[in-house]
Amino acid sequence: MKFKWCFGNEKEVPKLDLQKTGSEFLIDNYPDGEPYPGWNVEKILCHQIPVSKKRDIHFLLKPAVGEESSEPLILGWFEKKDPFTQEDLLDNEEAQLQDLIFRIRTSLCISYRESLAKRVVTLINDAKEEEDFTGVGIAVGSLRNFFNFIQLNTNLKCPTISLTPEYNIYASWRVEQKQVFSVHFLPNGDTRFVIFKPNDLHLERQIRISGTATTDILMGTVAPYGVWDWISE
Amino acid sequence: MGLDLRMKGDTIPDQHHIARYCRPTQVPDGQIQATAFMLRKGEESLSVNWCEFLNCSCRESEIDELRNIYSRKLRRVGAGAKIAVVNVGEVREKVLTESPDRRNLEILHDPQCGTVNDLSHSGIYNLKRDDELIAELILETVRETYPARK
Repeated sequence: MKFKWCFGNEKEVPKLDLQKTGSEFLIDNYPDGEPYPGWNVEKILCHQIPVSKKRDIHFLLKPAVGEESSEPLILGWFEKKDPFTQEDLLDNEEAQLQDLIFRIRTSLCISYRESLAKRVVTLINDAKEEEDFTGVGIAVGSLRNFFNFIQLNTNLKCPTISLTPEYNIYASWRVEQKQVFSVHFLPNGDTRFVIFKPNDLHLERQIRISGTATTDILMGTVAPYGVWDWISE
Repeated sequence: MGLDLRMKGDTIPDQHHIARYCRPTQVPDGQIQATAFMLRKGEESLSVNWCEFLNCSCRESEIDELRNIYSRKLRRVGAGAKIAVVNVGEVREKVLTESPDRRNLEILHDPQCGTVNDLSHSGIYNLKRDDELIAELILETVRETYPARK
């Protein structure tokens, strides 16, 4: 089934209630939540907007180009009572993608959560209209890797995100033309990064660095290059 | 009608220009990103069009012709898609002098024939799939951008 995401028109999105705490927060129960050994999920989970009744969560679909009717999303997976069926559905990449977007949108630690979630949905819709589109729009592992990264580093400015030819997330923080920090989030928990920055001793020259690191040590790896100064708030 | 492919493989002169179709997923908020210059799986070269080969009188006419080509070749030209124009000599020099491995890009004419003929089609060769740094370098040489949709 081909469909288009329509973000922001949800009819039954739970209202924000910042007073609720603890047990009502969403729980990360992904079977593949650990991208690599040693990954500490608890360390990166930030508080999310509490959802009083998970079954109230709905996204609506908008028809893709050339399709006439809209129809309610695959949804309802929160409504399933049968845990086996729910697990099956979580295996579905489409459902995982929805859940990740929901988690981005409700993560209190991400100040730009709304705009970021909208951007992700726009990317998915744009990807689905591409000539040679396959998959679900964004590589789920890549988006999860990116989400883990911004949960680990909550004081980052909102990056510009685009999709690589493999539908992976590519995030860039750019200050004018000569100062760039870009990260390609791979589905396996790795990242490939690029840094361009002015050479302080030779202002007409540029320092260019590229490398690979797992998401959890990325910021530590690039810290010596002063990246924090221009990507954090 | 048969297509004369004898010009296939010709090197595009340094003073000429090439245009790259950038998909909406690579152009957030109208700003072309380095992802527009990354190879997809199985690609040997980055597809571009040779502007001067179109033999138009000015850049605007070349862009109009490119839009015609895209609309014939693609099922849909996205509303946010853009055309990035770079100078051949500038991009080759930039990548040669600023990439860690002094990469020598080759920009070759690669006319396509099929259901839609694309005689100005060309390719940037000597790229690899994990070339984020080179994609960022190419991005820095983009001097002109235009909407890809008519």
